[in-house]
Amino acid sequence: MTVIDSPPEEITVAPEAPTKGTNDLARRVGSWVVAYLGALAVFGAFMALKGVNPFVAYRDMFDSTLMNSASLSEVLIKAAPFLLAALAVAVPARGGLVNLGGEGQIVMGGIAAAGVALGLEGKVASGLVMVAMLVGAMVAGALWAALAGVLRVGAGINEAISTLLLNYIAIDVLLYLISGPWKDSAGFGQLASKPLADETRLPTFGSDGRIHLGVFIAMAAAVGIWLLLRSTSWGFQLRVAGGNGEAARRAGLPVAKLLLSGLITGGAMAGLAGAIHFAGVEGQLRPGMTFGFGYIGFLASWLAGHHPIRIAGAALLLGAIAVAGDSLQIDAGLPAASVNVLMAFVLFAVLGKKPRLAGASR
Amino acid sequence: MSIATLEPSADRTKQSPSIIEVRGLTKRFGDLVATGDVDFDVRSGEVHSLLGENGAGKSTLMKLLYGVYQPDAGEILVDGVVHRLDSPADARALGIGMVFQDLRLIPAFTVAENIALSLPGGGFRYRRQAVERQILDAGAELGFSVDPKALVRHLSIGERQRVEILKVLMSGARLVILDEPTSVLAPQEVDGLFTAIRSLRAKGLAVVIITHKLHETRAIADRLSILRAGRMVGSGIDPTTVDDRALISAMVGREVPPLPVERSDPPADRPAALRVTGVHVRGDGGNTALHDIHLEVKAGEVMGVAGVAGSGQRELYEAVLGLRPLHTGDIHIAAVEMAKSDPGAALALGAVGIPEDPISDAVVPGLDVTEHLALSNLSSLRKGLGIDWARARELVAELDRQIGLRMVAHDRTVADLSGGNVQRVMLTRAFGVDCTLLVAAYPSRGLDVATTRRTQELLLAQREAGAGVLFISEDLDELMELSDQIAVLHNGHLAGVVTPGEVDRYAIGQLMLGGSE
Amino acid sequence: MIAAQAATDVGGQLLIVSVLVGAVRSGTSIFYAALGETISERAGVINVGTEGCMLAGAMSAYAVTAETGNPWFGVLGAAAVGGALALLHAYLVIARGANQLANGLVIMFLGLGLTSLFGASYVSREINGFKPYAIPGLSSIPAVGDILFNHDPLTYLSFALGPAVWFLLFRTRWGLLLRGAGERAPVLSSYGYSPERIRYIAVGLGGLLAGIGGAQLSTAVALTWFENMTQGRGFIAVALVIFASWHPLWAMGGAYLFGAALALGPELQVRNVGVNQFVLDALPYVMTLAVLVVLAKRSFQRAPEGLAEVFDAPPVS
Repeated sequence: MTVIDSPPEEITVAPEAPTKGTNDLARRVGSWVVAYLGALAVFGAFMALKGVNPFVAYRDMFDSTLMNSASLSEVLIKAAPFLLAALAVAVPARGGLVNLGGEGQIVMGGIAAAGVALGLEGKVASGLVMVAMLVGAMVAGALWAALAGVLRVGAGINEAISTLLLNYIAIDVLLYLISGPWKDSAGFGQLASKPLADETRLPTFGSDGRIHLGVFIAMAAAVGIWLLLRSTSWGFQLRVAGGNGEAARRAGLPVAKLLLSGLITGGAMAGLAGAIHFAGVEGQLRPGMTFGFGYIGFLASWLAGHHPIRIAGAALLLGAIAVAGDSLQIDAGLPAASVNVLMAFVLFAVLGKKPRLAGASR
Repeated sequence: MSIATLEPSADRTKQSPSIIEVRGLTKRFGDLVATGDVDFDVRSGEVHSLLGENGAGKSTLMKLLYGVYQPDAGEILVDGVVHRLDSPADARALGIGMVFQDLRLIPAFTVAENIALSLPGGGFRYRRQAVERQILDAGAELGFSVDPKALVRHLSIGERQRVEILKVLMSGARLVILDEPTSVLAPQEVDGLFTAIRSLRAKGLAVVIITHKLHETRAIADRLSILRAGRMVGSGIDPTTVDDRALISAMVGREVPPLPVERSDPPADRPAALRVTGVHVRGDGGNTALHDIHLEVKAGEVMGVAGVAGSGQRELYEAVLGLRPLHTGDIHIAAVEMAKSDPGAALALGAVGIPEDPISDAVVPGLDVTEHLALSNLSSLRKGLGIDWARARELVAELDRQIGLRMVAHDRTVADLSGGNVQRVMLTRAFGVDCTLLVAAYPSRGLDVATTRRTQELLLAQREAGAGVLFISEDLDELMELSDQIAVLHNGHLAGVVTPGEVDRYAIGQLMLGGSE
Repeated sequence: MIAAQAATDVGGQLLIVSVLVGAVRSGTSIFYAALGETISERAGVINVGTEGCMLAGAMSAYAVTAETGNPWFGVLGAAAVGGALALLHAYLVIARGANQLANGLVIMFLGLGLTSLFGASYVSREINGFKPYAIPGLSSIPAVGDILFNHDPLTYLSFALGPAVWFLLFRTRWGLLLRGAGERAPVLSSYGYSPERIRYIAVGLGGLLAGIGGAQLSTAVALTWFENMTQGRGFIAVALVIFASWHPLWAMGGAYLFGAALALGPELQVRNVGVNQFVLDALPYVMTLAVLVVLAKRSFQRAPEGLAEVFDAPPVS
């Protein structure tokens, strides 16, 4: 065998391995603190413009969000669907897909859960109804996502656009059902479906009996997805397909199936979010019941770099902000949606912090 | 003959003034000295050839002259005056123009739109007709025929190159730097380019041509300079005073190990590793990219594939490996018909590919060397639902020793590597598989001479081991050295299959351009 | 009761004419946004936050009109606010390397939050907005007159703006630079231009037009303001740009097609055709998907190269 006398060639322009300093951590923590304080400052300035003392408002928000157990459970309850909605983004993101359709997949999950309840309530054991609701919701969310997946692998339609459009269609399906076939005849002119029976609502736990089973389901799902992506051959192949689809195809991987399975898994998570929100919180379908969950989940996933465990943290943060919004309405008299300004600046701070690296965009 | 005997020339351009001159030019990237203490000059009315291996610093030197990089030491004189070139705009203002290897044109734009963008000034409106007329005039003056209305994406590489040269000249260049302009052209197209270069010279312009091909240097250059590992080992030499051996050892600095001369003749009764029958294939734009191709590669045979860039090589590569659907015809690998175009099916039949463009077709961002190599071996590494990474690491270490292409550390992320190191990973992966058919597209691109040699040996080793090798290259010398037979593509047709010992490079060039043998 | 009165109003008008009138009326705000997004995407930046820019425009225009009594001041305010939001997007995407789609969504939430914060006090205010102005002579042409020549001034402005943007993109040096920035930015840099600066301008212009679109919605069509009143029109505009193959005049046609789908529901209801309103509401979205399916192959080939990261579909076997 010939021995080659040339050393491995080195790159001519930039050093190949970016060096990471050890005092990086301190700088990173510092920049996070600055980012969050900055976001608070900007929103505070806006509140001051509206004649609300931002210091008082922030104290009220903090007190009523994190300082008592009732509102802490409220944060967990809000965060649970955000967490599942974020997983719906994170799994397809491993395959290089952009799922903007969590919103619609959640709605379809809620619809399926309601449909199962309408069909089975009183006919089979309530435990069975619950399981059927959760499974039905996952299937519905998965199918709604699969629609975008099929359009992508079959016709090359960008999934970011198609999932976005499917959101609006899902919402119209919901409105159609609760204004027509599933309209609650006992409702007082409000568009809504028949309420769930008490025994088919998800069981609750904790001192105030508000934390429902869905919170634990969401946490288990995060761990499950983390293991699935990290340790299975499927997770590896999905990553290859997402990193470079052409490379995956040339290595003989079933790219279309991988992409579809990623979207379907994500859709199932979103469907689950719809089911736990329906069966754990709302108890009936009504317009706008999950407004924004899908988009907030999308942002939570980006906030956490699509990492399932870090996503749990991001979902908690956004859950806390959402609860703080409610307190804003009660204590300061500002519309609850105003808190989106605070959320936006937190997200800007995080999204805009990553240096642009080749290949790091996904 | 030693380097010391390479004397500066005393040719006819001696009297013309230097348009550009550099003294002691040094550029470092980290610890790497890309160019060290380089002296070099170019005179008006001359064609100056800059020779050197890949990575010798030729492109770096030219980018210093064009203001893309700024030197760490040394000075640049234009028309005898020291100038700082902080940007290409500074260089252009002084009349220095550069034609890059990756042509700087926008494919979605027309020729006229591209040139209009490059022209300085010009007011608010884009005056299409005026620009188109200017292009036709400038083209006529140089003997180029260019359609200003054509979309660049529809032009051949040679045509794009002419547009690029025209663009540089129309923005007022007196010195034109051409970065390896011939690497993508057929011999006859090279002749066309050289005719154009001569007409530039006749107008008193200066031309620098970067190349590593000696016969081209001899055909066109008035003087030549040689870079090796960032040092100028010969500057301003008259080509008629040196022979090829001296030039090669000046470029390489050592003797290149020869290829093993004795090769077994491919026995006539060997089975076909690849049989392509009546294949038509559509290109990306829906055009017919391959017309009625019939081709057979026997086990233990190297079938070279020659052709001008874009003659259907890529489509042939993809059709054979199941990456591109066949319009008509069929493909047999090891006597089994590939039922449908499916890369998995081709792999299962023992077909392995070395891709033309690994960055876009094979490198997965975020994955390290081990993971890239495991990708071709997933089924045997499976452990339950997961993957046995410990065994994968062992296998890769063993393979690296065996193949001997010296990959970088196996936990390095491939996307961060230089082109040459990426190629080593691709080659190790391909040569590490027992295959019945190896399809290699430009396997030695971006490699230094020694690694290129090793790659060629590995190709021949596959041949000895009984694999059929389909070997696509743009380097006719390499093709003629390695191939048992050469299939020549022209415009998607098989123009002929020739045996290297029986024809010369011009005969092959003729086939590449659609002439008969 | 209202429906019955409307039915008599439209009694003399053919369904097709009423739908086309509605198409222009409700398509114009989407057209402004799509035109802006065309400019932005041609320069290589997709702004999903167009929804937020529209919303901010709608609210600002309404508030300024309510305070000053002059809707033209409202339009100026809307353009400024829409443009400012888009510039924020541009800054984060270009200078800070934020992901375009995610950051666009945040812009949408920011628009939603800001308009609910500052718009709450205008929810029940009435304004003196734009009135339709029938162009003498032209508006009395049967059918065509109603469809094209009996609208608010912002609609007339949009008729001119479509061709103007086409001219800007394809017949000026500036348009060449803008499209060049969206195709291959390094080529522009190599000529000494700054693709970043071009992108800032393009994205800002895009948001400005989206803001005017929002103004048209609140001060000329709806004459009211409520939280989240654009209801996804900005997202529709983004989808529209793709099926218009990044061409300003196609975007115009697409916006009116969409407007027609929006107008069909109420017109059918007025005529007592029994269709569930929400089924009709879904129609435009289904239609957009259908058009994308039909045009898929063609339009994705024409996407500016700079958008490849967002739009490139890896080939699938």
